[in-house]
Formats: sequence, structure tokens, C-alpha cells
Amino acid sequence: MTKLLITEITRMGPAFCVIGLQREKDKIRSVRPVSSTANSWLHFPYYRGDVLQCDLAPFSGAKPHIEDRVSTRGFQKESTVPEAELVSFLRKAEFADSLQELFGCALNENKSGSGLFAEPPAAKRSVCGTVTQNLRLELCANELRATLALSSGEVLRDLPVVDRDWRDFIEAALAIRRGANRLARLERFLNSQFHYKVLSCPYHFIRLGLTRPYHDLCWLMLDTLIPLPKNDWLEEF
Amino acid sequence: MPFTKDENQWRRLVEECFRREAGSDVPIPDTAQNLIETGALDSMAWVSFLRALESTSGLSELGALLTERTPTLESIYLALQEARAESPSVPEASDKTRTAKGSMVVLTSSCAVVGSRQIPSEEIDRVFGMPSGKLRLRAGIESLAYAAEGENELTLAARAAQQALRAAACGPQALDWIIATSETHRGYPSLAAQLHSQLLARENCSALDVGGACLGLLNALAVAQGLIASGQARAILVITSDVHSRAFQPGRVPGEFGGLFGDGASAFLLRARNGSTPQRAYALGEFFFGCAGQYAGAIRVADAPDGRLDVHFDGEALSRAAITRLEKVIRDVELRSGFGRSSAQGLATHQPNPRLVSLLAKQLALAPDKFPGVAQAFGNLGSSTCGVALDTILQSARHVRSGEPGPIFLASLGPGLLFGGGWLASL
Repeated sequence: MTKLLITEITRMGPAFCVIGLQREKDKIRSVRPVSSTANSWLHFPYYRGDVLQCDLAPFSGAKPHIEDRVSTRGFQKESTVPEAELVSFLRKAEFADSLQELFGCALNENKSGSGLFAEPPAAKRSVCGTVTQNLRLELCANELRATLALSSGEVLRDLPVVDRDWRDFIEAALAIRRGANRLARLERFLNSQFHYKVLSCPYHFIRLGLTRPYHDLCWLMLDTLIPLPKNDWLEEF
Repeated sequence: MPFTKDENQWRRLVEECFRREAGSDVPIPDTAQNLIETGALDSMAWVSFLRALESTSGLSELGALLTERTPTLESIYLALQEARAESPSVPEASDKTRTAKGSMVVLTSSCAVVGSRQIPSEEIDRVFGMPSGKLRLRAGIESLAYAAEGENELTLAARAAQQALRAAACGPQALDWIIATSETHRGYPSLAAQLHSQLLARENCSALDVGGACLGLLNALAVAQGLIASGQARAILVITSDVHSRAFQPGRVPGEFGGLFGDGASAFLLRARNGSTPQRAYALGEFFFGCAGQYAGAIRVADAPDGRLDVHFDGEALSRAAITRLEKVIRDVELRSGFGRSSAQGLATHQPNPRLVSLLAKQLALAPDKFPGVAQAFGNLGSSTCGVALDTILQSARHVRSGEPGPIFLASLGPGLLFGGGWLASL
């Protein structure tokens, strides 16, 4: 039986990818429960901060997804930890503050357009936490993208935001029932209150991840942005 | 959808960017086809495609305009029309190839000089305590140009400036601005101010220093172009000058870094185009710039408290960044200008070291001799690398006998990672 503190719930097409923290002696490390038939879950009724009991079996996941474990039975919720405490655990897991250290390999720029990628054999892991000096979210042709500055001063642009809660929040903000000028109002929020709400949060934190190899490359994405969005923020714009 | 002539040019741009993303052998989808739903592009590639289009069209709001629209080529064409209606300053796509020819700003003369001491790279290996042959074998540098005693940024710059003025039969009293750039000159008065005095320019000729390190020449040319195009100036002298051999000395910086650099200067006379513009002048095309902050950590130089220079130099990361970015900039020059790279008379680019120049030529499928061998013979000259390369191409273009010489591509980088590109076209 393993206790897993859920830290990532990301959208991967119609399904969800889940990552949690597992304590192993005095170490805390990320593990990604996968089913025996797929890398993602079509239904995952839990939240970040939930502590779940589960059975995980080793799985020879392809590099760099060394965190993969096969979940051999269902999840059972045991408790929930608050957001600030969740970040205190995340800080003890995989953490880096420069580009080179994020995944232990060089990250390359897409020559044809935007995005950064790692070469699968070179990357040492597929998830890592970091603190951002500055952060911007924007909608580019319906796609949510993040640009952020690491503590090292390096800037990562156009990272796809796959965080389930933030994606849900953006969709809710654009829902037709919210009336006229939804997009303009959302853009105003992202360019003003969002920045304050995230960066003034004393425990703001980011987890970055690598996609599964796609045409032999793993693309960088923003898995988790803490603080998670609050529903009442929707009333502010 | 029927296309007008101008729309056809935009379509060419859209299709080029699409092929960059999807692959050159992928057929262009129907304009109404949903690119994501049909799998022509995934969401990553869709955004990447739009970013490339924003970069090459100069319409930076394109992605925002497409939110809440179907991801189709038709939506893109509509957004392009709207963006152009909102930004009338963005030229029609078909104007791009004409921009340089119809430009109000022409480059009429140039000159480059390097430090008078030509030193074999093995000697530099020895001085920096590196194994003999390291610079030649690892970086491809055969020799370095070092300033002789009595030479400095000012003397090299002044020599280049005077020769450029003489070549154009232009007296210093005709200058409205002197724009200088140097990554090594640190004293006051500034280099531009000292040159102003040295050249005996008019008192109401302005003097301006611009930064950007190795990108400095392109920054300076863009500023000069803006001043002339806005009618505030008619003649501007743009000057680069860098003396690394005094700043990057053994003991202050490691040889793997300091050993790459030489000393040189270049000067270019830019004028408003008029009836008396000489035939063999080049018109300035567009310049574009940006900053790829993901490479900010690859090179950092700062003063250390003990008087040494604190140099952080991740050669491998920087090499990778340089090749990728220069290649991207050159592809953007192609798309923006409408000129193919193979038609270029030459490419005046940043040259971190000769090995990287060879690699860049290979990546671009160009003959290496399209890139003047500046770094090979003189070392990396900082902001003057591009300047010396540009002057070399301009001088060689004078000997083109039949037809007009091809365009000249400019592409450079600076710490940050700053990048910029542009082009010149012969008149």
C-alpha cells in the first residue's frame, strides 16, 4: 500500500495525467500512476492536495518518464493537505532553478516556430518544480500558453498550460453564460489581477513537465501552477 | 477563395510557415479545413505555426486575433486582413521585396580595419596557457588581429570612418549623426562623442552610442534608418569598434573564452536617397529584432570585485543557441524579404567562431564562401564581426561584372540572447 499526495492533474486530450509525491525513507519523489493499459486516466475524481492510498508496481517506463508506476487497484482518499503545505512538500521533491538543471539535459528551441524540447535519451526525469520570477498567461488562438522567467533569468516562452484547474478556469471564464466581451475581460484579468494574485501568493510554485516522446522529442509544458485558481475570481472580471 | 495579388503574397507566407511546421512534403490543406480536428497540426504545432507567422509577418497580435475562431487557414487570412486594417504601417506582403528597392535609406560607402598585429592562434594558445593548436582545432581560428600599441577603439574607429567618408567623397560637415557601437569601450566621453571630435563633425551633428554587443551594428543601422526615414537626418555615419585584446587578457578571463576574440572596426555611411545616389549603393531593407531569454544563462560577463572579469560561458549551450537562432533569423529574412538565401551575394552574420560558421552554412545548405572568413583570420570581433563581414561583401560586390549583385543578408546575436536580422538590396 502506497500513500500518494496528488500534485499534478493535467489535461492530455480527453484524458488526465496524474502525478503525486511519494515518501521513500527520508526522500520525497514524484511518481506517476498509470493504468496497465494507458498512460492517462479518463476519469479522475480527485484534487491536488488529496492523499490517496493505492498500490503501485514498478514499471519500466521509457526515458525520461522514469516516474511511471502501474496502479494495480483503485484509489482511496485518505485525507487532504492545504495548498501551502502541498508546496512545502513539492519543494522537497525534484527542484531546479535553471534551464539546464530542470531535466538534467539541454533543452532545445523549436527551429520552425515556438516551444522547447528535450531529447528523450538525454533527459533524466520528466517532471520538475521551480519558482518563477515572473509569469504571464495568454490565449493564443484558443490555446493557453505560459511565458515565465526562472530565477536564473532564463525565460521560457509559449509553454502549453496543461494544468486541469487552470484550463477549467479559462474555459469557465469564456463560457457563453458569462455574457458579452468575455475574451476581452479574460485578457484584462490575465494582464492585471492574475499577475498580482499569483506572484503575491507567498508559496507560488510551478511544476514543469515533458510530454511523452512525440516524433522522438519530448516537449516542455507547464503542468501545475500554484496557487490554483479560485472560482470566486470569476466574479472579479 | 479567390486571392488578389497582395493576398497571394500573404498566402505564400502562410504556406511557407505551414510547411516549416508540418513538413515540406505535406500538402497545403483546404482553407476551410479544421487543422487541429483533422490532425493536420496538433495544438503545439498550431501555436508554433502561428508564432512563426507572427514573426515573419510582423503582426504580433495574430494569435490573439484567432482566439474563439476555428483553426483554419481561412481564419488566418481573415485575421491577417483585420490586423493589417488595424496596423496600416505593416507593409503589404508584396511590398516586402520592393521595400529595399524603394527604401529612402541607402548605404553608400563602407570601410573595415582590424588591429595591425596579426598573431597566429598557437601564440594565443600559449599566452593563455592552453595546449598548442587548441584554438585552431577546436574553434577553427587560424590567426587573430590584435591592436598594436597606440591603437584603441577610437583610433581604429576613426580610421574606418575617415576611409568610409573618403570613399563616398563626403566631408564630415555633411553628417547629421554619428552612431557608434562597441562592446569593449567603457570610458567617457563616449565613443561616439570622441569620434565626433576626432572627425571634426559639425557641432550640431549628434553623437549616439548604442549597445547590443555583437548585435550592435544591426541596432545602429536600424536606429540610423529610422532617423533618416523620419526626415530627421540626411547623412549618418554608423561605426563599430572593439578592442577585446585589452579587456580579455590572460588572468582576467579563461583562454577558451578570451582566446576567441580579436580587434577591429567598421564604418558605414548611410544617406537619404536622392537623385545623386551612386549606382553601386545598397538600399536598406527591414530590420527585425528580439530576445530569446531561454539562452540568457549561456553567456554572462560582469565585473568581479577583485578587478577580474566574472565570465560565465557555457560554450556548448551558446553554440547550440547561436546556430539555431541564426538559422531562424536567416529563414525569417528570406520570408520577410522575398529573397532566397541562395541568391544572396553574401551573409554578414555574427561569427562566434569559424567552426560554427561552417556548421551554419551546412545547416542552410549554402557554400561556406557566402560567409566572409572574418573569425578565421581575425577572431570574433564583437560588434565589428558583422561590420567587417558586411564591408567584405560590399567590396566584393563592386567586382560583380554582369547583372546586379544579389542582396546581402544580415543576422546577428548578442548576450541575452538578443537576435536581429535584416537585408540590403543593390540599387
